[in-house]
Amino acid sequence: MIITKGLSKEFTSGDHKVKAVNNISFEMPEGIFAAILGKSGSGKSTLLSLLGALDKPTAGSIEVDGIKINELSDRKLIKYRRDKIGFVFQNYSLIHNLNALENVCLPMEFAGVGAAERKERAEKLLEEVGLTEDKFHRRPARLSGGEQQRVAIARALANKPKLILADEPTGNLDSKTGQVIIDLLHELAKTEKTTILAVTHDIGIARQAKVIFKLQDGTLVE
Amino acid sequence: MGMIIRGFKNAFRNGIRSFAVIIILAISIGMALVMLVAMKAVEAKITSVKASVGNVVTISPAGAQGFEGGGTPLTGTQLKDVSSITHVSKVTETLEDRVSTTGSSTGSGFGGGTSGTTSLSSAINPGTLGQRFNGGSSSNQTLPTNFSLPIEIMGTNDLSTTQALGNVSQFKITSGQAFDATSNNNEALIGSGLATKNNLSVGGTFTAYDTTIKVDGIFDTGTEFSNGMVVMPLASVQRLSAQSDQISSATVQVDSVDQVTAVATAIKNKLGSAADVTSSIDAANNSLAPLENVKNISMYSLIGALVAGAVIIFLIMVMIVRERRQEIGVLKAIGASNAMVVGQFMSESMILALLGSIIGALIGFALANPILKMLVNNASSSASTAVRGAGGGGFARAFRGATSGFQNSLQSLHGAVGTSLILYAVLAAVAIAILGSAIPAFIISKIRPAEVMRAE
Repeated sequence: MIITKGLSKEFTSGDHKVKAVNNISFEMPEGIFAAILGKSGSGKSTLLSLLGALDKPTAGSIEVDGIKINELSDRKLIKYRRDKIGFVFQNYSLIHNLNALENVCLPMEFAGVGAAERKERAEKLLEEVGLTEDKFHRRPARLSGGEQQRVAIARALANKPKLILADEPTGNLDSKTGQVIIDLLHELAKTEKTTILAVTHDIGIARQAKVIFKLQDGTLVE
Repeated sequence: MGMIIRGFKNAFRNGIRSFAVIIILAISIGMALVMLVAMKAVEAKITSVKASVGNVVTISPAGAQGFEGGGTPLTGTQLKDVSSITHVSKVTETLEDRVSTTGSSTGSGFGGGTSGTTSLSSAINPGTLGQRFNGGSSSNQTLPTNFSLPIEIMGTNDLSTTQALGNVSQFKITSGQAFDATSNNNEALIGSGLATKNNLSVGGTFTAYDTTIKVDGIFDTGTEFSNGMVVMPLASVQRLSAQSDQISSATVQVDSVDQVTAVATAIKNKLGSAADVTSSIDAANNSLAPLENVKNISMYSLIGALVAGAVIIFLIMVMIVRERRQEIGVLKAIGASNAMVVGQFMSESMILALLGSIIGALIGFALANPILKMLVNNASSSASTAVRGAGGGGFARAFRGATSGFQNSLQSLHGAVGTSLILYAVLAAVAIAILGSAIPAFIISKIRPAEVMRAE
């Protein structure tokens, strides 16, 4: 599913350069729930950005589902993100003035899916993530943290991606709600046949993953 | 469609800010529309005045004005050079003379004419003015019993140009037919007043310069003075009055109003100090100067108002883009292209501008004409309204007639405030939204999703 070779990302900070990701090579099969574990500043989010084609590596290559994403043009990268990747962010990153249903419909709208089909799939996904129907038309401000993260997960699944990248998906949730979300991700990995790669600094959550990648100072240690 | 709906919704995310922006835009667009209406009304007026004044240059001997003043007559030879000037389409030459009624007390040469006499009696009642012209200074002075005002004879080489006839509203041949103005025949057209006074009809004859003249036709000009005139071919009058090749005034037709000033200058250069050259446009331009000022003020104000509107939208959109930087990053992360995100934000600015334009159109409807009147009143009250005619006697009267109502007509200047105003309002909104969103759109395109995720 994912193959990286010598992946590096450098940033310039003032006068000196910082290597956020340093020569990372790994392979990850599809259809599993994997975790990237590391402390704050270890390069987890940067690695996630690179795998999700939100940023371009300074060196190395990335292949996701057979696509060499570091060779794609900007236009093709947008298509890649739209069709192959789903993102779940730590702070949910829902659009505030759209309700839950509209947030889930958004990626499908960008992919050119018709309105009726969008609505039908969005409702199905919201049911799958456990949101009750009476909350479909609520805006994020009227949903709890856990509910917002469910909506974010449903949005990530909208275009049936091959890979879901979750950046600290339980970071803003209490432990009980966080566990609910992790269980949901496990379940969806099986039912939607989607590979899920979650970044976390919580070892308890990481241990629930089938594969763990440990990052330290931008380098893969395990 | 979803992008447009989201843009519409986003426009009202911050209700107070959106309301303030719409009101400010409404004022800006409203002012722009007011200035546009004013500018178009003034432009139309300027064009109408220039068209009514005509594209004519008048030449007369230096120092002469009709039968007043002094100077030396012009010659046909001098005027041949004028015909060759670029943009001159026609030169009409006239020679005016005055003849006395045979046996009247005025005697030949009265009133500035040559020594010619005529069998015709003047159709014009001398009255108080006639006494004054006879040298009297008070209304008590009585005229000699056989006093008769002199009769004007105009020789012309073109009957279609009648400015020399004076402040006439028309030159209509009511019976008979016109003569060939290039001929040298003893034939004439006489005014209806003169015909009635002397019991003349078409085919009849009278004498002038001891010569029998045939009446080819009778004309009506709408004025008593001009209806007391005789019009003959130029060459005939030159011959009969022994003023060979002499011209008392010429009217030059220019092919375009825009070329009148240039042609007048060229004529002055050719004829030098021998002639007084005046154009209706020069005098009209003096009267139109206030309107030109209003037009310029309106144009600059229109541009200023549109620029202000665009700046307002620009500042607001930059603020909004900065506020929603993270949201933009998320949209890009979940698959939106730059075009989609830019389109959404442009929809937002377009909605604000359109709502502003609707209110602005209402402001335009309400204020266009009051502000136009205010601008015109301020401009015309500070400008000189003195109009001086010059050149041949007929020209001065004609021009004063044409422009005497000009200042009054400014008061009735009215801007067209109709459905086209709404179209202009919409166009203004579109222009402002596009101009104001250009740089924010560029900023959006440069936002990288990864930066936003790192910022989280």
